[in-house]
Amino acid sequence: MMVCLVMSVFQAQAADPPPPPASLLSINPGTDLWREVRQRDGEIEGISQVKSPGANVLVNVSGQSWREYRMQELVPKAGAAIMIVLIIIAIFRLLRGRIMLENGRSGIKILRFSTSQRAAHWTTAILFVVLSLTGLTLLLGRKFLIPVFGAEGFSNIAVAAKFLHDYLGPVFMLALTWLFILFVRDNIPSPKLDLQWFLKGGGLFGKHVSSDRYNAGEKLWFWVASIVGLAVIISGLVLDFPIFGQTRATMEFYHWVHSVSAIILIVVSFGHIYMGTAALEATFEVMKTGYCDANWAKDHHDLWYEKVKDTGEPVSQTQAQASPAPGQRQSTEPSG
Amino acid sequence: MKKLIKSSSSVDKAVVAKSCKSVPGAISRRTFLRNSSLMAGGAALATTVSPVMMKKADAAVAAGGKIDQVKTICTHCSVGCGIIAEVQNGVWTGQEPAFDHPFNKGAHCAKGAAIREHGHGERRLKYPTKLVDGKWKKISWDEAINEIGDKMLEIRDKSGPDSVFWLGSAKFSNEQAYLFRKFAGMWGTNNVDHQARICHSTTVAGVANTWGYGAMTNSYNDIHFSKSILLIGSNPTEAHPVALQHIFKAKEENNAPVIVIDPRYTRTAAHANHYLKIRPGTDVGIIWGMMWHIFENGWEDKEFIRQRVYGMDDVMKEVKKWNPKEVERVTGVPEDQVYAATKAMADNRPGTFIWCMGGTQHTIGNNNTRAYCAFQLALGNMGVSGGGANIFRGHDNVQGATDLGVLSNTLPGYYGLSAGSWKHWSRVWDLDYEWVKGQFDGGSYEQSKGKDVHVMNTKGIPVSRWIDGVLEDKENIAQKDNLKAMLFWGHAPNSQTRGVEQKKAMDALEMMVIIDPYPTASAVMPDRKDGIYLLPASTQMETYGSVTASNRSFQWRSKVVDPLFESLPDHVIMYKLAKKLGLEEQMFKNIQVNGEEPLVEDVLREINRGMWTIGYTGQSPERLKKHQENWGTFNYDTLKAEGGPADGDYYGLPWPSWGTPEMNHPGTPNLYDTSKNVADGGLTFRARFGVERNGTNLLAEGSFGRGSDIKDGYPEFSADVLKKLGWWDDLTAEEKKAAEGKNWKTDLSGGIQRVAIKHGCSPFGNAKARAMVWTFPDPVPIHREPLYTSRRDLVEQYPTYEDRKSFWRLPTRYKSIQATDHSKDYPIILTSGRLVEYEGGGDESRSNPWLAELQQDMFVEIHPRDANNAGIKDGDDVWVEGAESAKVKVKAMVTRRVGSGVAFMPFHFAGHMQGEDLRDKYPEGADPYVLGEAANTAFTYGYDSVTQMQESKCSLCRITKA
Amino acid sequence: MASMKFYCDAERCIECNACVTACKNEHDIPWGVNRRRVVTIKDGEQGERSLSVACMHCADAPCAAVCPVDCFYTTGDGIVLHDKDICIGCGYCFYACPFGAPQFPESSAFSSRGKMDKCTFCAGGPEEDHTSEEYKKYGRNRVSEGKLPLCAEMCATKALLAGDADVLSDIYRKRVINRGASAFEWGVNQLKG
Repeated sequence: MMVCLVMSVFQAQAADPPPPPASLLSINPGTDLWREVRQRDGEIEGISQVKSPGANVLVNVSGQSWREYRMQELVPKAGAAIMIVLIIIAIFRLLRGRIMLENGRSGIKILRFSTSQRAAHWTTAILFVVLSLTGLTLLLGRKFLIPVFGAEGFSNIAVAAKFLHDYLGPVFMLALTWLFILFVRDNIPSPKLDLQWFLKGGGLFGKHVSSDRYNAGEKLWFWVASIVGLAVIISGLVLDFPIFGQTRATMEFYHWVHSVSAIILIVVSFGHIYMGTAALEATFEVMKTGYCDANWAKDHHDLWYEKVKDTGEPVSQTQAQASPAPGQRQSTEPSG
Repeated sequence: MKKLIKSSSSVDKAVVAKSCKSVPGAISRRTFLRNSSLMAGGAALATTVSPVMMKKADAAVAAGGKIDQVKTICTHCSVGCGIIAEVQNGVWTGQEPAFDHPFNKGAHCAKGAAIREHGHGERRLKYPTKLVDGKWKKISWDEAINEIGDKMLEIRDKSGPDSVFWLGSAKFSNEQAYLFRKFAGMWGTNNVDHQARICHSTTVAGVANTWGYGAMTNSYNDIHFSKSILLIGSNPTEAHPVALQHIFKAKEENNAPVIVIDPRYTRTAAHANHYLKIRPGTDVGIIWGMMWHIFENGWEDKEFIRQRVYGMDDVMKEVKKWNPKEVERVTGVPEDQVYAATKAMADNRPGTFIWCMGGTQHTIGNNNTRAYCAFQLALGNMGVSGGGANIFRGHDNVQGATDLGVLSNTLPGYYGLSAGSWKHWSRVWDLDYEWVKGQFDGGSYEQSKGKDVHVMNTKGIPVSRWIDGVLEDKENIAQKDNLKAMLFWGHAPNSQTRGVEQKKAMDALEMMVIIDPYPTASAVMPDRKDGIYLLPASTQMETYGSVTASNRSFQWRSKVVDPLFESLPDHVIMYKLAKKLGLEEQMFKNIQVNGEEPLVEDVLREINRGMWTIGYTGQSPERLKKHQENWGTFNYDTLKAEGGPADGDYYGLPWPSWGTPEMNHPGTPNLYDTSKNVADGGLTFRARFGVERNGTNLLAEGSFGRGSDIKDGYPEFSADVLKKLGWWDDLTAEEKKAAEGKNWKTDLSGGIQRVAIKHGCSPFGNAKARAMVWTFPDPVPIHREPLYTSRRDLVEQYPTYEDRKSFWRLPTRYKSIQATDHSKDYPIILTSGRLVEYEGGGDESRSNPWLAELQQDMFVEIHPRDANNAGIKDGDDVWVEGAESAKVKVKAMVTRRVGSGVAFMPFHFAGHMQGEDLRDKYPEGADPYVLGEAANTAFTYGYDSVTQMQESKCSLCRITKA
Repeated sequence: MASMKFYCDAERCIECNACVTACKNEHDIPWGVNRRRVVTIKDGEQGERSLSVACMHCADAPCAAVCPVDCFYTTGDGIVLHDKDICIGCGYCFYACPFGAPQFPESSAFSSRGKMDKCTFCAGGPEEDHTSEEYKKYGRNRVSEGKLPLCAEMCATKALLAGDADVLSDIYRKRVINRGASAFEWGVNQLKG
C-alpha cells in the first residue's frame, strides 16, 4: 500500500508514453524491477555494502502490516480493553458493593504470607505497575499526554518511561521468577475443587464456595500472570536487546507478542488489584502485614482455615484499636 | 512548544546566512592541528589528534566563516572528475558538485564523493619516521634527508648509481613526475619506473607500435557519438564509474549495443546487451574469433584498410585458424554469441573499443592490445569520432606520468634512451650532455650489433621485477650490482605479484625509503629492525599543478588546503633530496625555487620546451588555468569551447597540442582523425616505422588530413623534408637557426611543427597503421597459454615463449615454468580486479572511513560448484593458495559472477600476510581502518614478452576451508 | 506546492555507492550510520540490478504514523523530517518504514539506540537554518540554499534523481521514451538481421 502511494507518481508517468511492444520490455529489466517491487512479487532481498540488519532488503514488506496492527488494532483495542474492564469493575462495584466479613473481625490473626512472599509480591507488583504505566505511556501517550504536556514535555516523559521500561523489564523477570517459586506450591490446581469454584462463579453473587489456601480464581490469576508473564518477558528481552542482529520481522513479531500479552496482563491485573484492595474487607491488610483475620480466612479459604486455625494468635491491643471496629464500616466507600 | 513545520525553500535567507554568519571562536582546524603537533613536541610518534576531537573542530567551523570555493581534480582515477572544494578558515568543510565540469557534470563515484576526507587525513603518516630497533621513531625532516642521502651516496660509491631504484608514482602531478624522471637521470640511473608498468605498459607498447601513440585515442565524452561499445577486460562500473555516464548516453540515445567480454559477469556486464564469458587469458582467441566472422562476412572496411593499414593480410592468415569451433574450445564462448556480438559491432559503426587491465596484465599482454587494435582497424573504427581505442587508464595521472617518462625505458615524451634523446633533453635542461653521461656507471651491461651499449642507453629494471633485481644472483643481472636501496615514492607493494618473494626482497635491502601520505604495506611487510624511512608526502589536494586525464586532456589543480601535519609536497621533498645529493643546481637550473619549493609553473614551462614528440608543448600554465576558470564553456559532447576566453580550444588541450603555446593549437580531441585540419585537432597515423618494408609502402595511400597540402602519405617532418618541399622559407630567421639539422621532435623552436601544420600536415608524417609489428616477438598477435594454465591440452598448440637470459637486465622465465603441470594441485584459475570503493593499493581509500565502512573484508569470489566441491559456504574463511604456494586467508563469497573453475580476488587489500594480521606493525595511528590479505601475495610469476608487465589476471590456485 | 521526491533509475544505477559516501561527506555521518544505501538484487546473475535507497519522504509516512512521541513533520516541500530533541530512540519508525531509512547511532543492550537519524533530503531539521546545532544534529541544509540533496547531485550516472515530483516525472518520461524507441529499433534490427 505504502509503496504504491510513494510510487504512484512514477506509475502515472510510466503509463504515459506509448508502451513499446510487450516482447521488447524485457530489454529494460530495470523498470521491471521497480514494477515487481511495487507489486511485491519480485525479489526484494539482495546484497548491500551497508551491513546493518535489513540493509540488504529493498522493501520491508512487514512494515506496513505492523503499522496497521499498531495503529488500527493495538492502540484502539488496548485503550478499549482497559476502558471495558474498568467499566465492568465499576458495574460490579455498583451491584455488589464492598463485600464485608460475614461475622466481622475475630480479633485473631493467622499468618498467611511469609515476609519473603510479601517482598516478592510487592517487588513484582511495583515493577508491574511501573512497567504497565511506562508501557502504556509509550503506547497511548501520543494520544492522551501530548495534548496535556506538549510534544517536548511529553518527550521528556517518554524518555523517562522508555528508560524505566527498558531497565526494569529484566528486573521484573527476576521478580516474577522469585514470585513463581514462592507461590507455585499452593497454586497447583486441584481439579474437583477448582471446577466447583468456577461453576459457582467464585461465590461472587451468592454464598461462599469452599476453597483451600488459594481459590480457583486466584490460581487462575497466578497461572495467567506466570504464563502470559513469561511471554511478556521473553518478547520483552528480544526487544530490549537488539544486539543479535534481529530482523525487523522478528522485532515486529515480538512486539506483537509483547503488546498483546502485556495488555492481557494489565486488564486481568485490574481484577486482581480490585479484589485485593477495595472489593473485600480485610483483604489488603493480608498482603500488607502477612496476617489475615481468622474470620476472613473462614469466609474465603475455609479449607485452609481448618488446617491453620491453630496457629492463630490474638491481635495486639494497639493493632485492634488502629483498625476500625468490625461492622462499623458500610459499603459507602467509593467504588474502584 | 516549538513550531514543527518549517518551509525549506527560503533561498534568500540562506544566501544571507551563508555570507554573513560567522561563529565566533571557531577553531581553524589547521591551527588546531598545529597546536596538537606542538603538544606532541619531540616525543615519539603518536596519534595526537583523536578522531573525535577532529570531528568537533570540523563541526565548529561548519556553520561560519567565509567560504572559498577551490577547483581541483579528483585524485583517484583517470576520468579526471572536477571537484569544487569549499574551504573555510583553511579547513576543507564542504564539497560541491562541479556541474559545469565537462567530464563529470558534478558526478562522482564513491571515492570522488568521499574525497573531502583528504582534508582530515586521520590515518595519514604524520611525521618523518624511521625504524630503530624494530620501533618507529619520529625524526626531523633534516635528519631524515641527511641520513637517507648519506646512505644513497654510500651505496653509489660501493655498488654504483644503478643499485638505487627510483620507484615513482602515477599519483604525482605532471610537474612532479617530470622532476622525478629528471632526478633519476641526474642521479645516473635508468632504474626508474612506476605503476604504468603493471597497468597499461602493454597497451602503450602495443598501441604505439600500431599507429604511433600509446594513449587512449578518443575521450570519455566522445563515446556520446558511438553507435556500439565493446568492453573487454574492463569493468568501468567499478574502476571508472563516471565513464558509465557517457556510455549510458550512447546506449540510451544512440541505441548503441554494449558488448562486454570478461571472465566475470561484472556490474558492467549486467548493463550490457551482449556478454561473452571468456576463460581468463584468451583475449586473442576471442578477438580473432570475432574477426573470423568479420572476414567471413566481408564486414571489414576494405577501403580504410587499403589506405591506412599495413599487415592486415598477415592478420587474416592468423584469424583463419580461429574458426568458431576453435574459439569455443579455447575461450569457451559458443559461436552464436560471438557472431551476435561481432554483428552488433559491424552493424553499428562507428563503434568504440574499451579495454583495461583485464587485457593488459598478461604474459601476452602486448599481443592482446595489438589484437584489439587490429579489430578496430578492420572495422575502420579508427580516427573517427565515436570510434577509437578508448583505453581507460587507471590512476588519475598515470597518463601524465607515462608521458613524462617515469619509466625505465624512456625519457620524458617517449624519446627513448638513445644518445640523441639524452642530447635533446640535455639541451632542454641547459646542461652539458657529457656531465649527464658522467653521472651514470661508466661500463656497459649489454651489447647491440656487436658494440657495447652505454649504461645510459640501456633499459633499466622495470618495477615489476625490482624483486628480482634484489634477489637474483649478481652474476645473472646485467648491471654492476644488485639493487640495494628502494625509494618507494608513492607506490603500493600490494599491487605487485609474488608478495612472499617481495617481502624477502624487502628484508634483503640495505635501505627502504617510503615517501607517501600513508605508510603503505611496504612499512609493515618486511621483518626488519631498521633501515626503513617513512617520509610524509602531501596529497595533491595540498599542492597544485597539472594532471593528464585518460583522454590526454590536461587539467589544472588548485591547492585546497595547506599540507597537513608535517607532510610536504613531493616536489619539495625532491628539492630537499636533490640538495642533499648536490644536484639542485643542475636540476633546477631554469626553475625558480621559492624557499624549498620549485615553482610548479616553471617546471611545466620546461616540460613545454622539451616534449615535442607528443605535443606537450602547447599546454602552458596560463592556458591550463584559463581552461580551469572556464569549465562551463566547453561542450559536453565535443569538449570544444564555444565562446568564452578559451574559444575553439578542446578542453584541457588534449595532447598533441602542437607547437608553442603562442601557436594556440586547440589540442587533439581524437587521434588520427583525418576529417579535421591538423590545426583544428586533426591527425593522421604516425610515420614511425619507416616508409617502406620489403617493397611495401608503409605510408598512407590516398588518405590525408583535411586541408593537407600533400594529398597522400608522407614521412615525418625534418629540416631536410621542409627544404625538399620548398617550405623552408616559411620558417622565420630565428626558427631556421633552431631548426637546422633538426626534426619535428628536436626543433626547440617549434618551427618545423608550425610549418607542417600550416600546410595541413601532421608533423609526424602520414603513414599506415601496422597490424603486424615485425619488431615484436609475435609480429602478428597469437594466442599463447598462460604460464600457469589449467588447459594442459592446449599447451602444445599454444606454447609460451622460450626463457630469456637477459631481458630488461634480468633472466626471465617462460617455458621452464609452463613445462610443469600445476593444474592437478591447483585446479582453479585465479584472476583479480578492482572494487569501486578502493583505489590501487588502497592505503588511502582504506584509511577513509566513509569508504572503508563499505568494504570491510577481503574476499574471494568462488562459483557455487567449486564451493560445494570444497565444502565451502558463503562467508566462510578460506585459504586461497597460489600455484607458487603462497596463500592468503580470505572470506568466501559464493557467487555465479565467476564461472565454474574461476576465482576472483580484489587487489586493494593489504596489512595481512599469509594469515597474519600486521596491524601492530604500522606506526601508531597510521594503520588503515581496513586491512586484509593482498590478493597479489598469492599471484605468481609471469611477465609480458615486450614490457615486463606482470601476469596478474591469470594464474592457478586451490581453495580450501580455513 | 512542491513535492520533493527521490527516484532511482535501475537502468542506470551501477552500485558505485557515490550516493552513500556523498551523504557521509556532506553530513559527517559516523561509521555505522548510513542514511542511504545501495541494494543489488540478483547479485552476479542475469538480471542483476541495483537501486539506491533512502528515506522516500512518503506522503503518508509510516514512520510518522507509528512514532510514539510524534517527532516527525512534513515540510512545505513535502520533505519528511524529524525532531531529534523529541525522538526517544524507540526504533518503531525503523520497523514501519518500507525502505529501511531510519538509522540509529548505536544498537546496544537495553534497547539503547540513541536518537534516530535519517535522510533529511539535505533539508536539516527544526533548528534555525545553518546553525551549528542544526548541522550537528541533522547535517547540512542544502535545500534552504536552493540546492538539492548531494547524493543525487553527485550520482555517477545520474541514476538517482531528486527534486520536485513533476520535474522528475518529466525527466523519467523522456528516458522511458528514449529507451522504448531504442528497444524498439533494436528489436527491429535483430529481426532484420
